[in-house]
Amino acid sequence: MSNLPRKIRMMEIMQDGKEYWNYEVIEQTMKDYGFQGEFSRDTLNMDLIELAAVSFIKEVDLKVDDEGVYKKGFLLHKYVITEDGKARLSEACMNAI
Amino acid sequence: MVDLQALRQAEHGRRIRFGYMWALFCAVLWGLWYIPGTVVWDLNPFDTMYADIAATSGDSMALVVTAILITAINAVTVVIALLVWNGVLGNYGEMVRTAKAFKPCSRWFLFASLFGGPVAILGSYIAMGFGGGAFAAVAALLYPVVGAGLANAWHGEKISKRAAMGIIVIIAGSVTIFGGGMITELQSGSIGWMGYLGGLMAATGWGIEGAIADKGLDVSSADVGLHLRFIAELGIWVIVALPLLYLAGYNVFSYAIQAFEPLTMLMFAFAGVTFGFCYVSWYKSFPLIGVGRGQGIANLYGMFAVISTILFFGDVPQWTVLVGGALCIVGSFIMFSEESLELETLRA
Repeated sequence: MSNLPRKIRMMEIMQDGKEYWNYEVIEQTMKDYGFQGEFSRDTLNMDLIELAAVSFIKEVDLKVDDEGVYKKGFLLHKYVITEDGKARLSEACMNAI
Repeated sequence: MVDLQALRQAEHGRRIRFGYMWALFCAVLWGLWYIPGTVVWDLNPFDTMYADIAATSGDSMALVVTAILITAINAVTVVIALLVWNGVLGNYGEMVRTAKAFKPCSRWFLFASLFGGPVAILGSYIAMGFGGGAFAAVAALLYPVVGAGLANAWHGEKISKRAAMGIIVIIAGSVTIFGGGMITELQSGSIGWMGYLGGLMAATGWGIEGAIADKGLDVSSADVGLHLRFIAELGIWVIVALPLLYLAGYNVFSYAIQAFEPLTMLMFAFAGVTFGFCYVSWYKSFPLIGVGRGQGIANLYGMFAVISTILFFGDVPQWTVLVGGALCIVGSFIMFSEESLELETLRA
């Protein structure tokens, strides 16, 4: 269970600087909040896209979802947190607790 | 072998299109908002309230006090409209989490509400009460210049030459639309300094609000952020502004109770729905296409305000409206046609 807003929690999952596929982050976040269903999943994916748009995370790899781990036929993105993202996260988490 | 880059570009293009779509929704709804916003001044109890206060404290004071009460009730219906919206999206949990994260998120929405409510929306209502919807709309048209400039200065948001050009053409078009009407209003002497002050408040307030809210939006969701911003605004009116007016001898609460009559409430419901969802769309476009572009396209509200004025009030447009409308469309196409890969990341 997490008390952080969704986007901050997603950056927190990625804060170790390792590369994560979008479905990995989404799966973990859904577990944290007890979310279910495709609508929540797509909402969280949109959050990741928005985080990438403001350069808090950046895309490092992509592949087509052939097996349907996320959405069959769609693109899967692999992200890593950026320095900007880490800076914003440390500011966010220090104060949110 | 699937062409990954082509798929990636297509996906990216979708994001940009969504952003522009939200900004366009915002423009349509915003243009509609000037209808209830203007009409409500002539309804009970605001017409008598204005006259009562004007008799004792003068026109300027009457205008400000009445505008404060109208803005406060406007905030109530927007909060209700957004309660429905976030309820459907299942966002109440996220709202509590975002509100609790004060420093990274809700602090920015509180600041945004200070500039959005008591500055921009109040200013707009003052301008509407003084010079009518057309005057209020034109007066605020410069706000994307403020917003794009601040977003660039504060968080290094990129403004391409093309986006800047588009914004300028849209502003030129919007000014042309209202130019004719404004000259008539000026000649008839119906606009005083309070009206101009209201217009200036709207332009700077909304520009600053957009740039500040963007700072909170980068780590929170737009629907939730906006709702918190309006709840904060409501707090400013109900906890601070209205009691202060009451202490100053203006019986705003008795007028507020009188506002509970069908036609007035219908107008406020109309204002709440159009304004609430215009604001949702506005906030949703920022993370996708940036504050500068989002506000630039949303500025098409000038054109939609004219269309809705024609439809609802039956005012026949002048030639300036047609020329200005054409300029607005040209300007937004300049922005739409931007190479979408330039928007891969919004910040430098």
